[in-house]
Amino acid sequence: MAEEQRSQSGPPSGAPRREGGQGRQGGQGGPGGPGGPRKGKRQFFRKKKVCRFCVDRVDFIDFKKVEMLQPFVQDRGKILPRRMTGTCSRHQRWLGEAIKRARNIALLPFATGM
Amino acid sequence: MEERLYDLIFICRPTTPEEEITKIITTLEHACAEKGGKVEKLEKWGTRKMAYRVAKHREGYYVYLQIKSTQGELIRELERRLAVSDVVIKYLTVRLDEELKRQQKFQRKRERKAARRPRKAAGGAAPPAEQAAAQG
Repeated sequence: MAEEQRSQSGPPSGAPRREGGQGRQGGQGGPGGPGGPRKGKRQFFRKKKVCRFCVDRVDFIDFKKVEMLQPFVQDRGKILPRRMTGTCSRHQRWLGEAIKRARNIALLPFATGM
Repeated sequence: MEERLYDLIFICRPTTPEEEITKIITTLEHACAEKGGKVEKLEKWGTRKMAYRVAKHREGYYVYLQIKSTQGELIRELERRLAVSDVVIKYLTVRLDEELKRQQKFQRKRERKAARRPRKAAGGAAPPAEQAAAQG
């Protein structure tokens, strides 16, 4: 599981670096910084994820609506990180709370899928 | 004390007869009435699969109640009854009113924002109309 996490954390950590590179390219003639990507080796684009709850204007995440929480939980019950789902920090906080409540009443699993 | 809103969910063994469950619900309602509380909503979700095993059962009969009360004492009484009952294998009470208050706050904020926006749009829309009038 730890391995899986590491592999997931890989690409997103690259994304900000790419953005930083763009910024530096804009200001040419500067010192360039350590290892400034002048040639732009990394050209892959990552679609910017949008918080689904913000789009739908959700003000309250109900722990009773399991179908709503399901997409933000792994099969085995782990809460998906924000970097995977694109949820904003406020909604992630509410979501975590709702998922934990749902777990307490056996609507969602704590750890395994039995 | 101000009025508070609670969610109360409890799970019965899947083997319990329907009458038993209705009996539990009526006793809870009576207890509510005694302490001046009120049952706002009552839903029987029926037998559904649980996410993990509880008391060696994989399924459970879910019952959902929404309760309004001014006394926290009432919740303690209801939970005591549920704990004592043999057929109830799990229960959960969640206080909701503070979150609803928060929700309303956000809604108001959004409405204010929405109210501000049309005025802006109207302001932006007006000049073209004037221009059209001038042209015509």
